[in-house]
Amino acid sequence: MSAAAYLQDARRERRFYLSLALPALVLVGFAALLPVAWILRQSFLDLGGNFTTANYGKILSSGLTWSALGTTLALSGTTLVLCMILGIPLALTLASTSTRIANRVLILIMLPLWTSILVRTYGWLVLLRKDGLVNAALQSLGLTDAPLPLVYNFNGTLIGMVHYMLPLFVLPVYAAMRDIDSNIIRAAASMGAGLWHCVRTVILPLSAGGILSGSTIVFIYTLGFFITPAVLGGGKVNPISIRIDRTLSTFQDWGSASALGVLLLVLVLLTGAMLFATRWFLNRGTRHA
Amino acid sequence: MKRILRLSVAAIAIAAASPLAAQTLTITTAGGDYGTAMKEAMWGPAAAELGIEVREETQSDGFAALKMQVTSGAVTTDVIHLGSPEGAQAAAQGLLEPIDYSIIDPKSLPAGAESAYCYPFSSYGTVMAWNTKTIGEKPPASWAEFWDVKAFPGTRALRANAQDLIEIALLSEGVAPSEVYTVLDSAEGLKRAIDRLEVLKPNVSVWWTSGAQSAQILKDGEADLVVTWNGRAESVKADGGAANYSFKGSVIGTDCLAVPKGSANKDAAMKLIAAMTKPERGAKLTNYIAYGPLNPKAYEGGLIPAERLQLLATAPGNVETSVFSKADWWVKNGDAAQAAFDEMMNR
Repeated sequence: MSAAAYLQDARRERRFYLSLALPALVLVGFAALLPVAWILRQSFLDLGGNFTTANYGKILSSGLTWSALGTTLALSGTTLVLCMILGIPLALTLASTSTRIANRVLILIMLPLWTSILVRTYGWLVLLRKDGLVNAALQSLGLTDAPLPLVYNFNGTLIGMVHYMLPLFVLPVYAAMRDIDSNIIRAAASMGAGLWHCVRTVILPLSAGGILSGSTIVFIYTLGFFITPAVLGGGKVNPISIRIDRTLSTFQDWGSASALGVLLLVLVLLTGAMLFATRWFLNRGTRHA
Repeated sequence: MKRILRLSVAAIAIAAASPLAAQTLTITTAGGDYGTAMKEAMWGPAAAELGIEVREETQSDGFAALKMQVTSGAVTTDVIHLGSPEGAQAAAQGLLEPIDYSIIDPKSLPAGAESAYCYPFSSYGTVMAWNTKTIGEKPPASWAEFWDVKAFPGTRALRANAQDLIEIALLSEGVAPSEVYTVLDSAEGLKRAIDRLEVLKPNVSVWWTSGAQSAQILKDGEADLVVTWNGRAESVKADGGAANYSFKGSVIGTDCLAVPKGSANKDAAMKLIAAMTKPERGAKLTNYIAYGPLNPKAYEGGLIPAERLQLLATAPGNVETSVFSKADWWVKNGDAAQAAFDEMMNR
């Protein structure tokens, strides 16, 4: 077969795959892009439906927007750090056991992911509230005299968010660690590298791509979290999502709510761009090394 | 197959013909226990009396639904249930038809409750409730004592909304119920109320966002002192929860019925409102939920049994120390009050 025929064949194949993806593309177009376009338009309209930039002026000059932004970043950042602290050792342990055991543990890790977020959030409420199971246990063991404020605050919200995000973080990290050629680790060990040295110089750099994927998922996902802070925050944890809800329900200000939505979207896009830049940098680094 | 086709054609024909026999109106309510109560006590019997058919839609956010319908020109509801501040706001935005007081008797409302666009039909109180296990039999006797964290060191739960709370904050500083809005209208009035709430803030363990949540908090003892609605407090108490409440210094709010601008059945809708708010129907509503009617005649002649009467915020004996929430004030100053409240919460 000639080179031209090969090329034509490859093109036909690409077209075929594209046609398979078409339904999904159309769905994304209609179900995701159109509403976003509508929100964008709405954010530039006043109550009478005339063009205005006042909505942006209003939200950017309000201290409430900035404190909500701070809360959003604090929640997402802390959730990410906790997911790393808990998730990386977990993935490491899983990757170093036999596939059979690892798969069983993975099922246990995935189990909460198959439960509705609402159910899980209220579950935490039952566990953490003043007369909840955790406080009852602590008090009956004599560890504390009075119930600890475990929920209706920042920490309670964090617990719910980390619990939701941990499986989504562990999966890509675990996959990346599984993919590391065990011969490289053995080589490092045979050259006298201790366990910690081996983790630091071999395993973590080689699984950086997975850690980055996991981090991207956790950070971007949590930027828009609503149910968890709404239920576990007790009105004291108010990220952008809650600000949007209040702007709609208490102030009936669709223009400003849309502008806040656009702000959140910009935040997601910026974070995404940053993480992709890091990935590109990492890939380039490994290719040249 | 043919038979099914013929049957369905017949069914469509019957369905299409029925509006000729009886007019169909749509009422939008908040659903839940409240919606059921309104159906059983008010619009169900009224529809039967008028010989019309009434369909029910439920919306948790009636104002948003109303705004959507009127601004898009697709008005599908004829009568809508709103909170009075939302009703006044909707009227200000031109979303409502004026109430036709040639069909509805204007004398059916007590002085001060008149409204041009949204007819008030039921009332509720924002009250002080407490956990009887931790607070015991000697609860705060006033809002001033509610603020006294030395005498009552327990945790508080308040609604995450300025409505009613800024009125309560002023009552706690000794402002007389009749003076509350005079103070709020003064230059420093709002700031004074917000500052007073900020004093209590460190002792607030939860800012609740829905009535159901406030009931849960009261029932679970998550907070020792809870500001909630009398209907919610009463349900917790009636269900055997360790809770009690008081009407002392309650803030009374009203709900109202309105006709959306552009309703195709405007006159029939006014007739339905008049029929469903007759004294005996307003009185019957209290059989289902502890929200009292506005119509003074509903309180006469023993229409409401004595043991139900004492559960109503508007009943004699409960109402004397109350503030009536002023919808007009909230339409004018609501945004400023909510913004100041949110800033206080996030400080």
